[in-house]
Amino acid sequence: MKLILKLHDNIRHLFKDGALFHRVSPIFDAADTFAFTPAEETHRGAHVRDAIDIKRVMVTVIYALLPCFLFGVWNAGYQYNMAHAVPGAGLVDHILRGLIIVMPIVFVSYAVGGFWEVLFACVRKHPINEGLLVSGFLFPLVLPPTIPLWQVAVGITFGIVIGKEIFGGTGMNVVNPALLSRAFIFFAYAKSMTGNVWIASKGDHVVDAVTGATPLGVLSAMPEGATAADAIASGQVSFMQMFLGVMPGSIGETSTLACLIGAVMLLLAGVASWRIILGCVIGLLSTATLANIFGSSPMAQIPPHFHLVAGGFAFGAIFMATDPVSAAATKAGKWIYGFLIGMLVIIVRVLNAGFPEGVMLSILFMNLMAPLIDSFVVDHHIRRRRKRA
Amino acid sequence: MDFKIKKGFDVGLAGKPATSITDLIPSDTVAVYPLEFTGMKQRLLVAEGDIVKHGAALMEDKAHEAFKLRAPAGGQVTTITRGARRFVERIIVKVDVEAKAERFNAYAPDAMQGVDRQAIIDQLITTSYLSLIRQRPFSHMADPAAQPKSIFVNAMSTAPFQADAEVVTASDPVAFQAGLDLMTRLTEGDVHLCIGPNAGDTLKGAQRVSIHSFSGPHPSGNTSVHISRVDPMVPTDVIWTVKAVDLVGMGRLFLDGTLPTSRVVALGGPSVKPGDCGHYRIRTGGDLKPLFDTSLKDGDMRFIGGDVLAGCEIARDSHLGFHQSATTVIPALKERYFMGWTMPGLKKMSFSRLFASTWLPGEHDGSLGTNLHGEERALVLTGHYDKVMPLNIMVDFLIRACLAGDTDEAIALGILETDPEDFALCDVICPSKIEVQEIISGGLRLIEEEGI
Repeated sequence: MKLILKLHDNIRHLFKDGALFHRVSPIFDAADTFAFTPAEETHRGAHVRDAIDIKRVMVTVIYALLPCFLFGVWNAGYQYNMAHAVPGAGLVDHILRGLIIVMPIVFVSYAVGGFWEVLFACVRKHPINEGLLVSGFLFPLVLPPTIPLWQVAVGITFGIVIGKEIFGGTGMNVVNPALLSRAFIFFAYAKSMTGNVWIASKGDHVVDAVTGATPLGVLSAMPEGATAADAIASGQVSFMQMFLGVMPGSIGETSTLACLIGAVMLLLAGVASWRIILGCVIGLLSTATLANIFGSSPMAQIPPHFHLVAGGFAFGAIFMATDPVSAAATKAGKWIYGFLIGMLVIIVRVLNAGFPEGVMLSILFMNLMAPLIDSFVVDHHIRRRRKRA
Repeated sequence: MDFKIKKGFDVGLAGKPATSITDLIPSDTVAVYPLEFTGMKQRLLVAEGDIVKHGAALMEDKAHEAFKLRAPAGGQVTTITRGARRFVERIIVKVDVEAKAERFNAYAPDAMQGVDRQAIIDQLITTSYLSLIRQRPFSHMADPAAQPKSIFVNAMSTAPFQADAEVVTASDPVAFQAGLDLMTRLTEGDVHLCIGPNAGDTLKGAQRVSIHSFSGPHPSGNTSVHISRVDPMVPTDVIWTVKAVDLVGMGRLFLDGTLPTSRVVALGGPSVKPGDCGHYRIRTGGDLKPLFDTSLKDGDMRFIGGDVLAGCEIARDSHLGFHQSATTVIPALKERYFMGWTMPGLKKMSFSRLFASTWLPGEHDGSLGTNLHGEERALVLTGHYDKVMPLNIMVDFLIRACLAGDTDEAIALGILETDPEDFALCDVICPSKIEVQEIISGGLRLIEEEGI
């Protein structure tokens, strides 16, 4: 460790202003502060400081994403092996196959996203922002395992550059960059991203017993007159299956259980806002209940608790909606923001025949509305202050 | 009334000053730091080599000539140090114990309640003691022309470390009560004495004031918190605030008719030897070096006039500042920690729950240093500051208003009720290492320049 520190100190001067590599000094700084916390001292304001920094906050989110990631790796391999009827495939085979499918996606996401981050950091002379660690990891987890790698590259490019860097980098963005990347792919290359998310199928190998559609795809494709209860009763869709997530779908989204483990980690660490998550859940359940009462289509008849585990809701509510930069910042605002996300998810799922899933669009839409919500809350706060005066 | 403050955070600094008072040998030089008196337009009245009386005017304010900085002891002016733009930074006087003293009005303790308001103000101005009374809004020296709605006397300190009000007032209870009586003459409203859980007989026995008791983590000892709970202000209100420890000196001035020659100050912090953390009786404006020479541990350190949260850095060879009632010394740490973003952090001080130290029993050892533990970043976590803000203030949005220079919005959000020190904990806990105190004081300055 001392050796690394010494090495860094020895080459530090090469990155000073005017020195040979000064243009790429953010790269050195990032590597340097990755290995060791910065040597900076307080010189204004409070003289002692909390040990927390943004790196630690972001890395905590990564740790919370690991259950989803690990499960996603296994599930991708499992689904592939099932779909291709690989004989005698066991746990290790599933994981290896999953790694072969997932790791290139993660690698491309980080490499291409990292390239843009570094480029902007060098040109605009700001430090490399840790936000990329999270965005670059979130994005692969909301993609289907069948996504072509070039689309991953294009998607993360759009998300990082248009979603974040043109506004000034992490902390300045309006919408969640990872989600914007996904939305870009969703609309630009819809074929790769429809509800029917399987699988690296080579036609002849696909086994009949394995459905290629996600539960939401199944439900939304129900013929007129059929009810959600039929699908559930026929075993095409089961709560437990969706809760555990052993089914086709985006890499990290399928398992509500894995998302919940992540949620516990985030809430214990105090990084994610419980108000937003709870708001999403309440919004979803109450709207779904209303749909149950007043709606008649198969989607409207899905029991509310099925919505909790279906699609990307858990993942979105826990990891995407809680992104503090793009979410509402006020306490009351967080409740409203979360509630409306949950409500919109149901509205899209139930009322929009075109999209079986609405989590991504709901969160992006509420990202845009978050400043407006905050503005109302702040205005209300100011009016109350005035009244007191 | 008892007020329990829930929101806040104690950083747990080691080296809390003990309640003992040690008499130091009076130093043979004293100094005045004119830059402590912000906004003053300097006019020097003495030159190096001049012989001055105890209490003689060394400098006056060009804008308000009645306001004079006076020699804390008589003797010879030896050094006048100038800094940027030729501002006088320090005037050092070599003490002559035989020197005569300038006389001011003196009153008997019983007569204190009957002193004319204007007489008090005049004497406070000509001795610069008015500078110990601060005003809200803007948190600077009280404007003598204003009629304060009430006066808040702060007799508790939750910031690490301030002088213990009970210790200091108990060292001269008569002067303290005289100071309180003077305050009652300055306002038509109430004088509120806010005491902490460790207040003793002197504070609890104070006369002719309303006593309020506060408890809870820092900043429950901040005057803004007291005002918000006891007598909330609106933007047009003026409230005066003063520290109880400063009332002792003020009372002495009016009892004796001469500038007080000594005061009790606290010394604490992790870099002070454990046995030497305590209170010391020091010559007013006296040299701190002898104290530092005997009571400090080894290593690089930072000297802070006041507490670690809102105090300012001072040099090792400093004299006691006019407003300084405590000195905190902490290690100057530039240490770099291996992979700080993921190491468990068994001994880390953190308000967050991201370190093992939060989850394991036992405290960190409190030897906190000057390490920033990170680099400045854009604001990312929202609502984090509100967890340590007991005032009804939306910190995130107040910061934004100040940064945007939107003074109307900042006022609407309540900036005038605050003092930058109220945001010190925001500085501490911020993962993005944003200098919140600096942003708020910038906002206050802008509002004052533009007018409300």
